Amino acid sequence: MKIWQRCLLAMFAIVVVLGGVAYAQAPSAPPVEFPYTGNRTAVWIVAQLHILFAGFILGAPIFVVISEWLGYRKQDPRYDRLAKEVTKVTVILYSMTALTGGLFIFVLLATYPQFTTWLINHFFLIFAVVYPLLFIGETIILYMYFYTWDAWKGEKKARHIALGVLLNLIGSITLFVIDGPTSFMNTPVRAEGVSPAEFLATASLWDKVFNYSWMPLNLHRLVGNVTFGGFIAGLIAAYMFMGSKKEEERAYYDWMGFVGNMIGVGALLFLPFMGYLLSYELCDYDASICPYMMADQLSMFFEMQGAMVGLIFLASNYYIWLSMKRIEGVERVRMTVIAPIVMVLLPIVMTKVLTDYPVPDATSLAFLLPLLLAPVILGRFIPLTVSSSTVIKVGFLMVVVGNAIWMTPHGFVPTGAKLVAELELPSDWNFLALMPAKNSAAFTLIFVTVVNYVIYNRAVSQGTIVWGKIDFASQFVLVFLAFSAIWTMGLMGAVRSLLRKYFHAYNLLPDFTAESFTPTLSYSAWWITGITVTFFAVVSFAIIVTLRPSDSKGHAHEGSPVPAGAK
Amino acid sequence: MGNVIKKSLVGIVIGGILFGATNALGFPFVFQVLFFGYAMLGAVVFIILDLPPLKPIGGVKAAGALVVFYAILSVAYIAGGAVWPQFDPEDEKGKIDKILKPKREQYEAGKVEVLLQRAKALDEKAKELTARLQALGAAQAPADQKAGGAAAPSATTAAASGDIAKLGEEQWQLQECYNCHKLNGEGGKKRGPELDNIGNLLTAEEIAKKILDPKSYKAEGFEKEFEKGKMPDKYKDLMEPSDVQALAGWLAGYKNASVNTPKPIKMK
Repeated sequence: MKIWQRCLLAMFAIVVVLGGVAYAQAPSAPPVEFPYTGNRTAVWIVAQLHILFAGFILGAPIFVVISEWLGYRKQDPRYDRLAKEVTKVTVILYSMTALTGGLFIFVLLATYPQFTTWLINHFFLIFAVVYPLLFIGETIILYMYFYTWDAWKGEKKARHIALGVLLNLIGSITLFVIDGPTSFMNTPVRAEGVSPAEFLATASLWDKVFNYSWMPLNLHRLVGNVTFGGFIAGLIAAYMFMGSKKEEERAYYDWMGFVGNMIGVGALLFLPFMGYLLSYELCDYDASICPYMMADQLSMFFEMQGAMVGLIFLASNYYIWLSMKRIEGVERVRMTVIAPIVMVLLPIVMTKVLTDYPVPDATSLAFLLPLLLAPVILGRFIPLTVSSSTVIKVGFLMVVVGNAIWMTPHGFVPTGAKLVAELELPSDWNFLALMPAKNSAAFTLIFVTVVNYVIYNRAVSQGTIVWGKIDFASQFVLVFLAFSAIWTMGLMGAVRSLLRKYFHAYNLLPDFTAESFTPTLSYSAWWITGITVTFFAVVSFAIIVTLRPSDSKGHAHEGSPVPAGAK
Repeated sequence: MGNVIKKSLVGIVIGGILFGATNALGFPFVFQVLFFGYAMLGAVVFIILDLPPLKPIGGVKAAGALVVFYAILSVAYIAGGAVWPQFDPEDEKGKIDKILKPKREQYEAGKVEVLLQRAKALDEKAKELTARLQALGAAQAPADQKAGGAAAPSATTAAASGDIAKLGEEQWQLQECYNCHKLNGEGGKKRGPELDNIGNLLTAEEIAKKILDPKSYKAEGFEKEFEKGKMPDKYKDLMEPSDVQALAGWLAGYKNASVNTPKPIKMK
């Protein structure tokens, strides 16, 4: 796509945004009825697609700049190439973000004209001025960043990196700004003793933006976007690895897949905490949201989430396992026996401690920190060690155990109202379904993954990585991680949206349409899969279109086995 | 192949032990199956760990393999979503209709009011035009043009029919009070006090006050929940006064002294 075409597309998006605002001011037209899907699902599809593209174009530049900076600092051309290739795909997907964004507004205005008008009126300054300006700014900076890549090298590289930092700054502000109306729909501004409608009439724009769930949503999306970007980089690497005909290309894309996965998993480790913070704030806003999520209509959505998170952690650890196999001398790597012991003890001890001293009671840290640090501290004094293979296998066992705890529900019923003894955990074992056990399970998954990366780093420092010689199955693991992470994003996005129940804006603006009910998990899974597949089809096309021609071009030789300690 | 058989057998043995143990501990059958499933998942994981390396493929074969892989993932996730117990939206639809009925009526009434205002404005405009035409000496303008014209259907109010107990119980279900409060031995997750003896501690008016203003009373032993504002301060906006009265009246009838309903402390 040429520059003028991209500019035209960006202009189209801006016209759509402004046109939407103008349309919203026009007298109300009769709402349309989408055939087959219905209006709500139509909005769901377009919104989710837009968020997926937007998530990528906001998340990818974060690690693109980090990668570019690492390449500059380490003088390693692979990082620079990785950054540039991901930026190429980002530029294409930027256009898709604009297109789906425009489509989203059109569909929203056509299906829910009164609500859309109401929302735009409340956030007029954001929709009509701030957001378009940020969008224009981001468009200009992104294209500048991309087209100055080759011109601003050598001494000018720092300038180019600074431009990338500016791009991320604008991108993050854009995300924070648009999260204002989004989070407002979940947790509209309110004050004690005053009705939401009355308070809203006197609330300033800042009051509306700075609502209960705004900052938690910002943080959750920011970390989620980096995870997303990392896994998509892994996906790009997997496609290119599969298509590579030369050893050196395979070596490079093997390395790229590893880096993408590491960034994705690294950010993923923070996601449960960010999700917890968001749900904590939502429950704090209205305690009835909590049972709706965890014990009632959406409880099985969280079972599915548990299954997905478990699979993602299993896959990411399997990728490390396969990565270890391509390190020559890995069999010499050993670790203190305390590490697997702590892995096994962690879910049991943590559940007990968090039950006695629930979050945010800091007393729990007095018990948990010594346990977590035991492998580092006691390991120095106890000479007993085990092979890396044993530690990783115990780790896999504990990921399965952690996942089992995470997925064990209080009852096998879709709502608390249908709970009967035949489907309920025995009361003595009910602790398995409570938050201390769930937090312990999540933490076990994280702890095992961290230990595995420590082992990997130890193996790297003691052995030699043979890039390009990774088991071919690893490429399917990268694809699996990207697909599963995005599917989970779709699932949790649906949950966040459904938490508004039968309101457009929770407790404030009711949704009188016949579709304002909680859909089944099965129905949702169909659409989430459809959206994910559509997104993957477009991303796959973008990867092939942008990166395939570079196949014939020569690149720096990174293919030969690199001493692990080498830069 | 030997490895697969060996690990499958280990998985079945561990799964069998878990199945038997959970059976002995009184877990329902569905949980026994679930724990057996976890053991088999573990077996699959350990089988995969020791699989021989996959032979590299490229070109059309790789593309085909990817398409098949995506298809498998899609089917697996759709099936995964379908195997969990499914919430029946029909259970909720009736509830939502009842909860939103008064608001819908207000909304419809508001819409009619807006239409009437528009009709009135158009009528005045027509009269003004007629007067201007008459002033210009034109032919008699069609008189009495009226836009709209249809009489606005009077906004109906929800007629509270049936006995108060039935209405009160209905509100208990509609507002999903059972999610936090136990009553008749059902519901509640210790978020709020058990209410079987509330009638001996508060009058219907006092219960109504607590529903409308959760900060008006604090239950003994629920200080933390009170401070955190666990009981949502939204019912005054969501419920009709008659619904609050019905729910409060129904709850005031619960006077089961054998249940230890915590003592309410007046705060406002």
